[in-house]
Amino acid sequence: MDIRPILSTLLRHKTASALIVLEIALSCAIICNALFLIGERVGRMNRVSGLAESEMVRLQITGIGEDENADALTRSDLALFRGLPGVKSATVTNQVPFVNSSWNTSIRLQPGQERPTENLTMYMADENFVETFGLQLSSGRNFNADEMQEWSVINAPGVSFPPTAVIITRSVAERLFPGESALGKSIYIDDDEPTPIVGVVEHLARPSSQGGPAAYQYSMILPVRVPYSLGGNYVLRTDPERRGEVLAAARAAVLDNGPQRIILEDNTMTFGQLRIDYYQQDRAMAWLLVAVCVALLVVTALGIVGLASFWVQQRTKQIGVRRALGATRGQILRYFQLENLILATIGIALGMLMAFAINQLLMGRYELPRLPLVYLPVGAVLLWLLGQIAVYGPASKAASVPPAVATRSA
Amino acid sequence: MIAYYFNLALRSFRRNKALTALMVLSIALGIGASMTTMTVFYVLSGDPLPGRSHTLFYPQLDAEPLRGFAPGDEPADQLTRYDAETLLREKRGDRQTLTTGGSASIALQGTTLAPFRVESRYSSSDFFPMFDVPFLYGSGWPASSDENRERVTVIAKALNERVFGGENSVGRSLQIEGASFEVIGVIDDWRPTPKFYDMYSSRFGKPEQVFVPFSTSRDLRLARSGNMNCWGDSGEDPEGSEALNAPCVWIQYWVQLDTPAKAADYRQYLAQYSARQRSAGRFERPDDVRLHDLMGWLDENNVVPGDVRLQLWLALGFLVVCLVNTVGLLLAKFLRRSSEIGVRRALGASRRDVFFQCLVEAGTVGLAGGVLGLGLAQLGLWAVRHQPASYAELARLDPVMLASTFVLAIAVSLLAGLLPAWRAMQVTPAIQLKSQ
Amino acid sequence: MLNMRQVTKVYRTSLVETHALRSLDLLVEEGEFVAVTGPSGSGKTTFLNIAGLLEDFTGGEFSLDGENVKGLSDDARSRLRNQKIGFIFQSFNLIPDLNLFDNVDVPLRYRGMPAAERKLRIEDSLGMVGLSSRMKHFPAELSGGQQQRAAIARALAGSPRLLLADEPTGNLDSQMARSVLELMEDINQQGTTIVMVTHDPELAARAQRNVHIVDGMATDLSVEPGLMRAASAPVDGAHDTRA
Repeated sequence: MDIRPILSTLLRHKTASALIVLEIALSCAIICNALFLIGERVGRMNRVSGLAESEMVRLQITGIGEDENADALTRSDLALFRGLPGVKSATVTNQVPFVNSSWNTSIRLQPGQERPTENLTMYMADENFVETFGLQLSSGRNFNADEMQEWSVINAPGVSFPPTAVIITRSVAERLFPGESALGKSIYIDDDEPTPIVGVVEHLARPSSQGGPAAYQYSMILPVRVPYSLGGNYVLRTDPERRGEVLAAARAAVLDNGPQRIILEDNTMTFGQLRIDYYQQDRAMAWLLVAVCVALLVVTALGIVGLASFWVQQRTKQIGVRRALGATRGQILRYFQLENLILATIGIALGMLMAFAINQLLMGRYELPRLPLVYLPVGAVLLWLLGQIAVYGPASKAASVPPAVATRSA
Repeated sequence: MIAYYFNLALRSFRRNKALTALMVLSIALGIGASMTTMTVFYVLSGDPLPGRSHTLFYPQLDAEPLRGFAPGDEPADQLTRYDAETLLREKRGDRQTLTTGGSASIALQGTTLAPFRVESRYSSSDFFPMFDVPFLYGSGWPASSDENRERVTVIAKALNERVFGGENSVGRSLQIEGASFEVIGVIDDWRPTPKFYDMYSSRFGKPEQVFVPFSTSRDLRLARSGNMNCWGDSGEDPEGSEALNAPCVWIQYWVQLDTPAKAADYRQYLAQYSARQRSAGRFERPDDVRLHDLMGWLDENNVVPGDVRLQLWLALGFLVVCLVNTVGLLLAKFLRRSSEIGVRRALGASRRDVFFQCLVEAGTVGLAGGVLGLGLAQLGLWAVRHQPASYAELARLDPVMLASTFVLAIAVSLLAGLLPAWRAMQVTPAIQLKSQ
Repeated sequence: MLNMRQVTKVYRTSLVETHALRSLDLLVEEGEFVAVTGPSGSGKTTFLNIAGLLEDFTGGEFSLDGENVKGLSDDARSRLRNQKIGFIFQSFNLIPDLNLFDNVDVPLRYRGMPAAERKLRIEDSLGMVGLSSRMKHFPAELSGGQQQRAAIARALAGSPRLLLADEPTGNLDSQMARSVLELMEDINQQGTTIVMVTHDPELAARAQRNVHIVDGMATDLSVEPGLMRAASAPVDGAHDTRA
């Protein structure tokens, strides 16, 4: 079908055409960006933490007042946990992922370096940490017993004990020593004394989103046994089916063991649940974006239906004349569908430009990467389909205009 | 005439139910989405202490060592304990307070109530008058309590209900971390939005349940929470990073300065203080003092979460699409009635009359859209209240936002109606009459 | 009442120039009943539009009821039209959404008349055309003749000085047409000037005076004495213009 007469008709109805084009363009721009944002959020929610999440539970406790025997109590707690049926391993640490607070420190590559090289989160671990967390060592080894330090010893006033060893993640290794093996190299956590890297784990996520998405895996593990009074994080590993049972047993064990302590129920749960809670806002945002996309499509469809119906009504006489001159119903229908396709195409082309412009703005303010090109065809197809579906109703009404209309003067 | 046009608009709606419904729905969706996100934004970006916020200031000092300094680095956003206590002692503002967060276990002797943990806050006496904290029973502590490290506490209404059943507990005794404290005040419902005084505690959450003098908290080594940033070792001090001379920033400081002149003076005082510390060898970096007023400090910290702002922009984009949609539908509606417009023109309506009639019709669509949009906004806010965010419960329409809904709806519809009304007004009487 | 001298109307588009009226002269005195005839394309529609202040004209002079209307703004023309002229159209042009009362009300609204006065005039008008009992009915519920009478009531409600009718009986059967014409003659008897455009020679014969427009110019035709009624206003002042 020849496009030129359609174009010239559209040009004669500039206002209505422009409105449809503008509406499609805006919808396209917003939807492309919304789809992208949804993708970003979903990607964020599916980030690998490195933990064997389905097998782990976390118990957070706190004491009342100062505890002189925190170290001993911690050791007996752990012994009790390991004795519980179903518990594969247990550990105590200063922090866990999927919470919003973290311990961070800057490290240097050279002694006496002016500015730090990078900022990493630090997990304080006993010998069982790697196992309990289910971390994968890609090279090197876990800590030895003689590398272990006691927090209460190294943190005492007036003394300085640089960490004896450190395990880092692959991201950190690539960041600090790109292309080389990190094993055997050292970093300076303490200002003067180097700490050798004895192991590299595949993944270990930070507790919070400090440092942005790029720094999500910038973690290090230090061989420091902490007492329960430092953060109160007990982590136990078990079979997925026994998690509830293990958590209940662990609670009871802690309350029974030693002086009165408080279980922080709000923070005591399986890691699966911790992860779900942590990403709740991202989930809500993703759903909101979906709702907006749907609403936009609905509104745009309604607009197209409204304007197209009006157009058909305005041109009823014309349509009747065409039919009288021999056009079939199908040809009338296809005429209107083609008209809509042209408008949609112009709108989508404009919309893609606008999508990039919007993306530029978002990039500046919300730390987003550039809109990947793949979202553009998705948005385009959606709007083409939408336009065709929306115009079908009015176009069929047009096609059913009887040829007799041509002869009636009114 | 407006009443006449309004009447005509209503009749025309009844005649074109489908088209009118489409337009009203279109506007309502846009308004509903916009008002939901705008209300959340409005609640979160509001002034937590209207009437007082312009007299409250937050100072910053740069206490970090020269090592690692690059020109352009910002001073830390909290103070060291030494600086905070010194500024407090020198008392150069109309009122001042230092404060920091913590957590504490609470118990009541002689009851079966199991001990539990709450968020606590350690501050000095001026905290309560400065921030207009309302009291249900009793009051805050006097300055002498700070000096004498008294074991007094101010508790929140919720804690009072949980432990004392809601009665007047002033004078009663409460175990905090195993130590006995006397309750001297119970705070009434208080929820400054945002919780401005500590940017590292939940910014939109409820205030802490238990308040204790800072000096007392140090005496008892009560646990702290919030952010602590250290750049060195605390040496031999048994308090470690919480020691007086520790090279760590972890304290928030607020000063009340009632006039701009006093604020200017205080800024100068801070500069002098910084210079003093440098000559004493404590400060190494070039002097960089800041003094933000409350709203400025909130701005600095981007207190409105990025997601909320993004949602607002999204809703406004959606509103624009709804607006364009309405323009098209109004255009269709008006031009369908070209013959009637032609008749009215022939009967003496001027172009302006036609324009106004169309605008009134657009405005009426806006009014209807506003009513429906209000309903949708209430629905949206209900959904927000069920979200897992700290500010969720605050998402409510207040009278200002309610009125704004209608103003926005009518403004948008009038704007949408401008082009169609202008086109309608161009309909000439002569031509239309013949081409029936 | 209506004094047109050398009135011209040129329609210009980018490609063609159409001279719809060339040097049209016409004088209609107060109280006359004039029929304007002419073939299609002769310019009678244009003439009517200009006479009714629906359009502006290119050249010449035109005064309506003593007022010079050349170069008036659209607002001024609308006001004048509202106050001095009543229209009757071939296809009635009642607003379908409104009942008869509200239809007759329309021109009065644009005059800013208070509600009480409007009500009085509307009731009078509809009474004059015999439709008092149908005040709350909608146009769709009435016959063609009733609709045209309602349109006449609308035209009269504002006490116009001049009534312009465009094929008033074109869409009516002969019986209804007769009753409408009788109504118009009554109105003319009471002093309203009427200018009626029509194809129908029988209809034209009922008027006191015929003017024929051909190729944009007007010519007076002689009047059939048999159908002439005893006019209350003098017939002098008719100018003869030779083409």
